Amino acid sequence: MKRTTTICITAVVLLSVVYATGSHAKGDDFDSVVKMIEQFYSVKHQSLPFLAKAGMKVAGAAAKVRGGELKRFAEAGSIKLATFEDQNFNGDFIAFRKSLNDAMSSTWMPLIQTLSATDAEQTYVFLREKGDKFNVLVVIIEQQDATVVQATVSARNVALLMKDPEQGAKAITREATIHDQE
Amino acid sequence: MRSLFRIFPRTPAFVALLLLAPALTVRAQDPRIQLTHLDHLSARASETVDVSIDERLIQLAAKIFNEKDEDEAQIKKLVIGLKGIYVRSFEFENNNEYSAADVDTIKSQLREPTWTRLVNVTSKREGNVEVYISLVGSNINGLTVLSAEPKELTVVNIIGPVDLEKLAKLEGSLGIPNLGIKSSKKPKDDQ
Repeated sequence: MKRTTTICITAVVLLSVVYATGSHAKGDDFDSVVKMIEQFYSVKHQSLPFLAKAGMKVAGAAAKVRGGELKRFAEAGSIKLATFEDQNFNGDFIAFRKSLNDAMSSTWMPLIQTLSATDAEQTYVFLREKGDKFNVLVVIIEQQDATVVQATVSARNVALLMKDPEQGAKAITREATIHDQE
Repeated sequence: MRSLFRIFPRTPAFVALLLLAPALTVRAQDPRIQLTHLDHLSARASETVDVSIDERLIQLAAKIFNEKDEDEAQIKKLVIGLKGIYVRSFEFENNNEYSAADVDTIKSQLREPTWTRLVNVTSKREGNVEVYISLVGSNINGLTVLSAEPKELTVVNIIGPVDLEKLAKLEGSLGIPNLGIKSSKKPKDDQ
């Protein structure tokens, strides 16, 4: 009985994670960016259930995806998250940056982009209006990992992001990824 | 018309000049400078920061910053009327990672009559810091800071009515680095 309950709870959590990620996976710039990273660096992103198997806390992930702990910055249920782990992100980051900016220029406003050759880290933050709210797209690429987060945020939180774009972008990504909860 | 050209042989050139003049004037008064010439430095820089806050984002900031918050109220007041804030900053591990030619790609755009270099400007930065303003009549419509330190090159280009005082207040916000710029000239007597 106990085992059945555990299986049921796990199934529900996994299904909600799959639903939460799958419901956002229809043609959007988020998907294009994920594909662009995959093609440019010859890497593959991981879905949340896969990451769960790799040692992440599923319940925590589900709560985050559904807006549980993301309420501080993002609107509940608005998160799209793709992560790349333990892969090789060696490549011409200037060429990548150009491709990304060209792809995003028609609908997104670039806010801040930072490149660190020392740490092999790239951060890109784009904004676009969505009714009375905003979409924020954050792309962080490191030597072996990458994260793409798209979230809907309130005007108030866009103000906070604009006050200090670099730290704001890091806060969004920190909230959307799982590792930092541990 | 032919007879007019015969009487005044330079008429076609004059007409062409008249037609081109407005376009040239508009171009000459555009205080947005091209920073893409510096993009190649990203490959050598240990850290690159690129901030682009265009008019849409500035209007957004002016709309959403909270007047009850002291910081935000100040920023809101300062950004009203601005049309863009663009920052490129490169940090290098070693000296001489950027060339005089790189600096010249910026300086060549900061020429008179559009741009006037401000003298009597000091900065907490170590290297050479130059501040330029773009004027339309007696109104400032742009400001550019070019900070060339041995291991760091920073360009800040602000479009719109902005002066040194405003710049100083905006430093540290909206991606504008802390340059510690101020006028070394004592202000005239308070009115």
